[in-house]
Amino acid sequence: MFPVKRRFARCCAIFGALFLAAPAAAQSIVVDLSTREVAISTGFTGAELLLFGATEGSGDIVVTVEGPRRDEIIRRKERVAGIWVNGASVTFEKAPAYYRTAASKPLDEIAAPAILEKLQIGSDRIDLFTRTAGDAASVLTFREAFIRTKKRQALYSEDMSDLKIIRGRLFRSTIPFPVNVPIGTYQVTVHLFKNGQLVSSEKTPLTVQKVGLEAKIYDFAHDHAAWYGAIAIAIALMAGWFAGVIFRRA
Amino acid sequence: MQIYLPIAEMSLNALMLLGLGGMVGFLSGMFGVGGGFLMTPLLIFIGVPPAVAVGTEANQVVAASVSGALAHWRRGNVDFRMGIVLMIGGFIGSTLGVSLFTFLRGIGQIDFVIAVSYVLFLGIVGALMVVESVRAWFRSRNPSAPRRKLHYHTWLHGLPFKMRFRRSKLYISALLPLGIGVFVGILAAIMGVGGGFVMVPAMIYLLGMPTSVVVGTSLFQIVFVTANVTFLQSVNNQTVDIVLAMLLVVGSVFGAQIGARVGSRLRGEEVRIALGLIVLAVCARVAWTLVVTPDNLYSLGIGGTH
Repeated sequence: MFPVKRRFARCCAIFGALFLAAPAAAQSIVVDLSTREVAISTGFTGAELLLFGATEGSGDIVVTVEGPRRDEIIRRKERVAGIWVNGASVTFEKAPAYYRTAASKPLDEIAAPAILEKLQIGSDRIDLFTRTAGDAASVLTFREAFIRTKKRQALYSEDMSDLKIIRGRLFRSTIPFPVNVPIGTYQVTVHLFKNGQLVSSEKTPLTVQKVGLEAKIYDFAHDHAAWYGAIAIAIALMAGWFAGVIFRRA
Repeated sequence: MQIYLPIAEMSLNALMLLGLGGMVGFLSGMFGVGGGFLMTPLLIFIGVPPAVAVGTEANQVVAASVSGALAHWRRGNVDFRMGIVLMIGGFIGSTLGVSLFTFLRGIGQIDFVIAVSYVLFLGIVGALMVVESVRAWFRSRNPSAPRRKLHYHTWLHGLPFKMRFRRSKLYISALLPLGIGVFVGILAAIMGVGGGFVMVPAMIYLLGMPTSVVVGTSLFQIVFVTANVTFLQSVNNQTVDIVLAMLLVVGSVFGAQIGARVGSRLRGEEVRIALGLIVLAVCARVAWTLVVTPDNLYSLGIGGTH
């Protein structure tokens, strides 16, 4: 429980400082995260980060979190002779591996669709490029399926009630990471809207990485694959031999 | 107690994995089989990516086979000459198999090929086992029935490169065990198994080896072939999860010892009928995943072909 308490204490301290601080430059946003590093270690079952901050004057706040971009392929199963087989596929280039939007109220009450589109706020508005040949309608079907599948894996999420504004100036929100969260650098962006217009944005980076033994094993498997294989064999041979010796004596 | 598996990139209960290893180890000890053909589908059922299940299981089979192979070696039940010919075939086959695996993974068909291989081979082997054991069981109750001939001479015995295998009392073409080795090696790479369930019947029925050396020689070959698969899967696909393999190994070595003690008290035919039924049940479960409409028709992968 200690880290949670400490995090809470730190949170309170920052909130207090923000309240007492003299008014900063007009329409600025101050943001911080409960941690800037999500560590995947032995007991990792997912994580939840706390995002908090303050604004100068009231307005609507939208938080977006974007994960590392990479080429992702989506495949559709088709029934061939009664059996489901992977058929057509589309590769979306540099698609965000993770994407979250949180706001204090529904997005259409905050800004016009054109503005949201330009800022790529909301998982339905993410730019997804593909060079896979195909008519626009089928690419659109794959695009929708991609976003739907990402949501099922909890890698894409939207929550328009998860951003709490306190006394018009302080705000806080959570950023949930499922156990299958991809490693890499994440970008947290906080937008401040007033009367449907964007007045300010603040970006904060965040890293998700494997730590400890898990990180060492993962890195070793990828950087020294041949040695990894040899060690895997050596461990198995020793374990099998050792088990034989123990049970022969018993 | 959740444990994060670094290569599978998922969290599973460590006690459940130990239990799974113990259960499969128990069955493999009782029936004298490797257990890979049970473990790989079970890992896939609990959500481990099929490619990781296959790569990791090859690693686990190395550990599961080595103590058995050593025990048989001490008792002189290994035909090394035969084992080495099978092993050369196994190296060729498993190297081909891993390349095929890497290619199929790239085009997004590996899960499908793994499932189809399981349905096909478990279906055939399970059905043969049940039929054969039921027949043997009836024969044992009715001893007056005529016995079958011990040796059949077919075109297989006319192949060139004849070699003498003293321990097996055989003088046959080296191409025969070499071919069996290649075939089993491909299966080992794609299915994440030792391949004993195909090799043992092939050694008895195709090669005509005496049953006393079959199991020891098969285990000897399996150790080397699964070691080769472990190495190549690590290098080509990075799909061997050492943490997962070790949890399964610890569970299975204990389970196997208990299973072996229970198995020695049961009658041979009954044990084989039971094993045949288990094999068919796993086959049916895998077949079900192929025909049932998936709840999501779409699946995601990283990278891929443009």
